[in-house]
Amino acid sequence: MHILSRNKGAILLGLAPALILYVVFAILPIVISFYYSLMDWDGLSEMEFIGLANFTEALNDDVFWQALVNNLYVVGASVFGQIPIALFVALLLNRKLRAGKLFRTLGFMPVVLSTVIISLVWGLMYNSRNGLFNQLLESVGLESWTQNWLGDPTWAMVSVCITIIWQFVGLYMIIFLAALQNIPREIYEASEIDGASGWKQTIHITLPMMWNTVVVAVMLCISGSLRTFDLIYVMTAGGPGHSTEVLAMYMFENTFNATRYGYGSAISLFIFFFSLALVFLSRVVLRRKNID
Amino acid sequence: MTKVEASTTNNKRKVQFTSGRSIKSTMIYIVLSIYGLINVYPLIWMFINSFKSNAEFAKDSFGLPEVWQFENYARAWETANLDVYFLNSLIVSVTAVIVTVFAGAMASYFLSRFVFKGRKVLQSFFVFGLLIPIHATLVPMFILMRNIGLLDTHIGLILPYVAFNLPITIFLLVSFMESFPKDIEESAVMDGCGVFRIFWSIILPMTRPAIATVVILNVINNWNEFSFALVLINDDALKTLPYGLANFSGQYTTDYGSQMAGLTLAVIPIVIIYLLLEKQLVKGMTAGAVKG
Repeated sequence: MHILSRNKGAILLGLAPALILYVVFAILPIVISFYYSLMDWDGLSEMEFIGLANFTEALNDDVFWQALVNNLYVVGASVFGQIPIALFVALLLNRKLRAGKLFRTLGFMPVVLSTVIISLVWGLMYNSRNGLFNQLLESVGLESWTQNWLGDPTWAMVSVCITIIWQFVGLYMIIFLAALQNIPREIYEASEIDGASGWKQTIHITLPMMWNTVVVAVMLCISGSLRTFDLIYVMTAGGPGHSTEVLAMYMFENTFNATRYGYGSAISLFIFFFSLALVFLSRVVLRRKNID
Repeated sequence: MTKVEASTTNNKRKVQFTSGRSIKSTMIYIVLSIYGLINVYPLIWMFINSFKSNAEFAKDSFGLPEVWQFENYARAWETANLDVYFLNSLIVSVTAVIVTVFAGAMASYFLSRFVFKGRKVLQSFFVFGLLIPIHATLVPMFILMRNIGLLDTHIGLILPYVAFNLPITIFLLVSFMESFPKDIEESAVMDGCGVFRIFWSIILPMTRPAIATVVILNVINNWNEFSFALVLINDDALKTLPYGLANFSGQYTTDYGSQMAGLTLAVIPIVIIYLLLEKQLVKGMTAGAVKG
C-alpha cells in the first residue's frame, strides 16, 4: 500500500508496545511453564532437573485423574446444558416480541457479574441450614429432599455445575441470537412458499445456516469450562474430599499450597494441551456432521 | 351462497389461526419470563436478604424483611474494606484498559493498514493468545513478578491484564479497521501527515464504535478478574474487589445479612454499567464470535 508501506521504522515503533507487553507477560510465561515442568522446585531452593518425572507422576496420581474426570464433567454439563438451552431461548427470542430486548438484557446479566460474587451468592443459596434451595424444598413439604448441597460429595459436583450452566447460558444465547438475525429473511419466505413452517424451518434452514456459529460456541464452551477455577476456589476449594477438584484448582493447590512449582507447571501444561486437543477434536467432529 | 360460506369458513379459520397463535405466543412469554426470572432471581434474593437479620434469614429467605436492617450495609461498609478494594479495582482496571486500548489500537492500525512481511503471522500470533489458559501462566507469572520486584504492586497486576486483553482487543480492532476504504489515508499523506498523525487524527476517530466495545469488554474482564490478583497480591491494602470479597465472606461466614449487603454494594456498579452500555456490549460480544 503506497507510501505508507515503506515506513519500516514507524511500523516497528507502532507494533513494539503491544508486542513487548504481550510477549513478556503472556507468551513468555507459558514458555517458562515448559521449563519449570521439567524441574523439581519449591520456588526458593535450587532447581533440580528431573526430566518428564512430573508428567509421569501426574499420570499416576489418582487425584489428577479425578480432577480430569471432574473437568470433563464440567465440560459435558456446560456443552449439553448451556448450548441447547441457549439455542432454545435464542430461537424463541428471534421473533418479534414486545419484551424481547428485556429478556435479552436479563439473560445476559449473569455473564457480566464477577465469578467470585456469583460463587458467594450461590454458596449462600446452597447453604445447608438456611439456604434458598433447602428452604424451598421444606416449604413444599419435601424435607427429605434437602441436602448439604456443597458439603456432600455426591451432590457437590452437581451443584457446582448448575451454577456454571446458569452463569454462561446468556453468553451463548447472545451469540446465537446474533447469528439468527444474520440469516436473510428471504430464505424463510421462499421456504414458506414451498410449504415449510415452524419446526421444519428450524431444523432444515435455521440450524444448518447457523451451524458454524454453533461450532464456535461449542469450542468456546469447551475451552472456557476446562479453565474453571474461580468458582471452584470460592465455592468448595475442590472439596469435600477431592469431589469437586478440577485441574486448575489442583494445579493451584500443588503450586501455592504445597509449593511444588514443577508439578504445578506440569499440570497447567496438561490443561493447555487438553484444551487445545478438545477444541480441535470438537472441530473435527462437528465439521463432519455439517457436511452430511 | 357459496361465496358467503367460503367467507365464513375463511373467517373461522382466521379466528382459529390467531387464537392458536396467541396461545403460542403466551407460551413463549411464559417460558421466557421463567428464563428471565431464573437469571436475575439470585440477585433479587441477595438484595432482599441483605436487609434481614440473621434470625429472619434463617427462618425465611423468601419474603420481604419484617424490619429493614439498614445497618447491615453500614457494617459491611465498615468491616469489608470495600472502599479500598473499590479504589484498587478502579485504578487497576482503568489503567489497564487505557494501556491495552492504546497499544492495541496502534498495533491494529499497523497490522490492518500496512503491507509488510510477516503481517499475517504476527496477527495470528496475537490472536493465539485467546487460546492460552491464564492458569497455565500463574506460576511463571508469580516468579517473574517476584524477580522484577512487582509482586504486591498495582503495576504487577496491570501488566498481565494488558497482556491477556490484547488478543481480543487486536482481533476486534483489526477486523474493524480493515473494513475502511483502501485510500482513506491518501489525501492526508498528500497534505504531509505522518503515519502517527494519520493514526491519531483519522483512524482512531473512525474506530470509535469498535473501541467502545473493546473498552467495555476490557473493563468487565479486569473488574472481575480473580486469579492473577489472588496470586500476585498479598497486601490487604492492594486487593481488588473480587479478591477482597472472597476473603471478607470467608471471615464473616455467619453474618449473612452483612455478607449480602457487601455483595450487593459490589454488584451495583457493574449492573449499572451493564444496563447503560448493554447494546454496545452485546454488539461487540457477537461481532467476533459470529464471524468465527
